[in-house]
Amino acid sequence: MTPRLFWLVYSTETRKLMTYRVDFWITAVLNFVVSITVPYFLWTAVFESAGMATVAGYTLHEMVLYYCLAVLLGRVVRGSDQLRDISTDIYEGSLSRYLLYPAGYLPFKYAQHLANLLPSVLQLALLGPAIAGVIGLPASVAISWGSIFLALAAVAIGNALYYLMSFTLQTVAFWADNIWSLIVMMRIAASLLGGLLIPLSCFPEWAQAVLAWTPFPCLYHLPVNALLGKSTFAQAAAGLATSLAWCVLFFGAARLIWRRGTLQYTGVGI
Amino acid sequence: MRYLRLYLYFLRFSFSRSMEFRFDFFFRIFMDSVYYAVNLGFYGVLFSKVPTIGGWNFDQAVIFVAGYLLLDAIDMTVFSNNMWQLPSLINRGDLDYYLVRPVSTLYFVSLRDFAANSFVNLLMTIGILAWAIARYPGELGPASIAAFAVLLLAGCFLHYVLHITFLLSAFWLHAAAGVQQLFYVIREFSERPHQIYKGWLRQVLVTVLPVALFASIPAHALFDGLDLALALHVVAVAIGAWLLLVFVWSRGLRAYVSASS
Repeated sequence: MTPRLFWLVYSTETRKLMTYRVDFWITAVLNFVVSITVPYFLWTAVFESAGMATVAGYTLHEMVLYYCLAVLLGRVVRGSDQLRDISTDIYEGSLSRYLLYPAGYLPFKYAQHLANLLPSVLQLALLGPAIAGVIGLPASVAISWGSIFLALAAVAIGNALYYLMSFTLQTVAFWADNIWSLIVMMRIAASLLGGLLIPLSCFPEWAQAVLAWTPFPCLYHLPVNALLGKSTFAQAAAGLATSLAWCVLFFGAARLIWRRGTLQYTGVGI
Repeated sequence: MRYLRLYLYFLRFSFSRSMEFRFDFFFRIFMDSVYYAVNLGFYGVLFSKVPTIGGWNFDQAVIFVAGYLLLDAIDMTVFSNNMWQLPSLINRGDLDYYLVRPVSTLYFVSLRDFAANSFVNLLMTIGILAWAIARYPGELGPASIAAFAVLLLAGCFLHYVLHITFLLSAFWLHAAAGVQQLFYVIREFSERPHQIYKGWLRQVLVTVLPVALFASIPAHALFDGLDLALALHVVAVAIGAWLLLVFVWSRGLRAYVSASS
């Protein structure tokens, strides 16, 4: 797929996204406010009960900041959450036309996926500085160019990993009649094991050691902690390397399943 | 009686349809099992750090979680398929097919699709709740458990009413995905004990957006007893929510523009 075609697919998809503006702003602002309010009250209650200044290595201020960033960066990692379009193409037979295109299906769909990130990136750009202004940065948090670079790398790898995991699961649609549940299951599991529901440092040490080898920490935990400077460079680099290895693994699995699946795919009409 | 007979037809069609999608049948059981494990695991991890949250200990929190898992399973089985389809029925003009039928359209669009593939999960959540109550070290009398069950059913009803009221915005907005998403986000308030919320927010969550009445208030009644004021409050909120739904539905139908030829 040429870069020019990639850009064309990207810009077309972006224009489609911005059609429903009311929808966009509801998703952007109200969802964010509620997503932050629930953890704020929960952790306030937890800190009151614990009677300590820090829980699992975070002060209350840091914990609130953690959730703000996990929600905003997590949206960029996940994309638009419209992750059923590949299986829909397979079920409805619209895959046929993509097979005729002079471009690979996976990069074509990834271009569309990247275009769908635009609202999340806008939300991050608008709400990120607003949060820093409203709740302020704790003295213990020092955001540097190095931590920003590490966080951006983690978000980029996390995004590719989430997409590849989803793509692999969706290719099961060549054989199964409905794979919606698999995608939702992945999202639910990732929210706990990736650190969206609760920071991974709250888990017992043995569980943290196991989770470090799974693909999940790069989705939420790693980008946020890299940005907040809670991970050392060595920890972040190890996390990124593990995530890259998972990307390669899922890419290989996706290609293998895709090749097998297209051999038995039947589409009627274009 | 006519509506009950109609619902039995819905059930029959739903069960035979779910058998056509066997993979989905098992995937959905697996998905919901993961959802239950994640919710119980979340509180397990949290309570490894503190003895109580909002005045509840781990055993009480497990009963609360089991309550909202049961509520979620009832919603997934009875209402969710219908709710997901409703905005597209409105946008595509397919509501026409239901408006011309000689039964209540609201009844039809709310209940016609029973998710038979979630029925197993419903039984699982009943089991989880029974286990949570059985392992509770304190005394829970039959009257308290009965009050808990009734309030939980009232919570299911309120969940349905709030959900569909949000979705009816499709009559005016035409793209209800954002509003639907908003409902699910607001529902997150119901997944934590209501005691953690303070001041006006708690008042809002038991009156205007009564998500605390889904599972948290029933659990509160189970542990601390149900008084008359609380019972009357739940009844009043349920009636108020239903009247609001009927009002929005009738206004929505007036704004509805059929798209069919």
